[in-house]
Amino acid sequence: MKTIKKQLNILWAVAVVTYKEWSAYRTHSMVSILVGPIYFIVQYFIWTAAYGGRAQLNGMDLSQMITYFGASTLIGYLTMDFADWNLQMLIRTGKFLTFALRPIHHRFFAFSQKVGHRLLGLLFEFIPCYFIFTILFKVSLVPTHIGWTILSVVLAFLMNFYIHYILGMTAFWFTQSTGIRRVFDLLSGVFSGVFIPLVFFPQVLQKILFFLPFPYMSYVPVMVFTGDFTLAGVRMDIPSIVGIQCLAVCITILISEIIYRASMRRFNGVGA
Amino acid sequence: MKKHMKIYKECIKVAFAAASTYRLNFILNCTIMLLGDIIFPLITVLIYGSGAGFQGWTVYEVLLIQSIFTMSTAIADMTFHGVMWVTMDMVRNGNMEMVLILPVDTMFILMARTFSFEGIGLFLGGFIIFIVAVLNVSIPSIILWLQFLTFFIIGIFVMMGIALIMAAISFKWVGNSRIPEIFSSIRSFGKYPQSIFPKAIVFITSIIIPVAMISYYPAAALLGRVNSGMFIMILPCFLFLIFGIYLYRHMVRLYQGVGG
Repeated sequence: MKTIKKQLNILWAVAVVTYKEWSAYRTHSMVSILVGPIYFIVQYFIWTAAYGGRAQLNGMDLSQMITYFGASTLIGYLTMDFADWNLQMLIRTGKFLTFALRPIHHRFFAFSQKVGHRLLGLLFEFIPCYFIFTILFKVSLVPTHIGWTILSVVLAFLMNFYIHYILGMTAFWFTQSTGIRRVFDLLSGVFSGVFIPLVFFPQVLQKILFFLPFPYMSYVPVMVFTGDFTLAGVRMDIPSIVGIQCLAVCITILISEIIYRASMRRFNGVGA
Repeated sequence: MKKHMKIYKECIKVAFAAASTYRLNFILNCTIMLLGDIIFPLITVLIYGSGAGFQGWTVYEVLLIQSIFTMSTAIADMTFHGVMWVTMDMVRNGNMEMVLILPVDTMFILMARTFSFEGIGLFLGGFIIFIVAVLNVSIPSIILWLQFLTFFIIGIFVMMGIALIMAAISFKWVGNSRIPEIFSSIRSFGKYPQSIFPKAIVFITSIIIPVAMISYYPAAALLGRVNSGMFIMILPCFLFLIFGIYLYRHMVRLYQGVGG
């Protein structure tokens, strides 16, 4: 109990410092107040034109589609991550050594930083955009199951963090891993459902996606938000898909730990 | 002019040497750009594949617009987009004096120094989709090709105007690496047929920030959908570029070199 309390204190201290540090550049986050709605307007007109007079496309009606993109944008602000960039920079410059010597696991430190950074995202990105979407664009953004949605977003938050941390660890082998990170960002953009709902993909690909981390980073929490989950023709109730998402997160944490241990055996503390 | 050509040639050589040194990263970045290039066409294909579509536009006509956008972006990435990032970085670090003391135009040297080969993958991807799209629409006449080329080049001028305005903004909005996102979001209006947007938006994308010229008007020219009114749209594009150049030079003059 004492250990947990100590860890929570550390988490909070690092999160607050990160929050204050990034608050100095709060307009950086506030760019989203402009960019988010612009992208949303584009999506709105694309899909309004694409639906034409059709009632449904791949089981989704127009209002569901608009809600999907609104929720996807908002959840993205809460789960966004760049732990990979930080970690690969520390490894490349040799600065990771200072973290390896500290009495705190770097992954936990990075996670605490993310908590602080996303708190800022909540205040300067999520909340303003939520009001813009609901008041200005009249989009209904009330989750069907609020409890399950919060849980699913928390799991997506963890999934995003651990996946990006694993990506960052590739720098222990390749030193300059920007290429790998960009490949992943591209794939996750497409296959996590940020650009288009996954039900638009061919059935075979949708089945494969069940076994990849991408849907659990964005598509699953967004569909949980809408209260109706379908992928690869499989319609699941919300507790089941959140359970599967939880399992996916646990597997990712395990993989992250294995890679971290292998990385520590490889790390020489010199940089490149 | 000869001096400028010589400098540009040297900068291209340096860019090639840099790409050769970090070969794996270069190849990966080219591949990513090539793959990234497929995203927007992929979304279009998936929308049309689901039985939906944009009224009055076939899938190949929409792909034509998006492939032109991709090629234009690739040319911009290779030749002048770097000015935006390097200006942003130098203003933040306060080391722009290193460029200002050089006996050559600041805007030119920054563009030359940031020449990058990484856009090649993007250009090739866009070009392949362009060829596929052209082969699936009615064969354009030579006149239409000439109209297309004119609009395409002017579209690149618009891209340059955008890059310079972004770079100029970074003198005041120090250290905000998300400035390009603002313009990138505005540019996304240019990736689709303008008929899907309301007239007010089309007015903005054609006259105020003429992003429609990047790909929509060139594609419309190739498809024989231009009318004389569209040629008037060339004027705001030139004005936009001139404004970009003026603003950038003005901000360079105001630069105080303190960093941020």
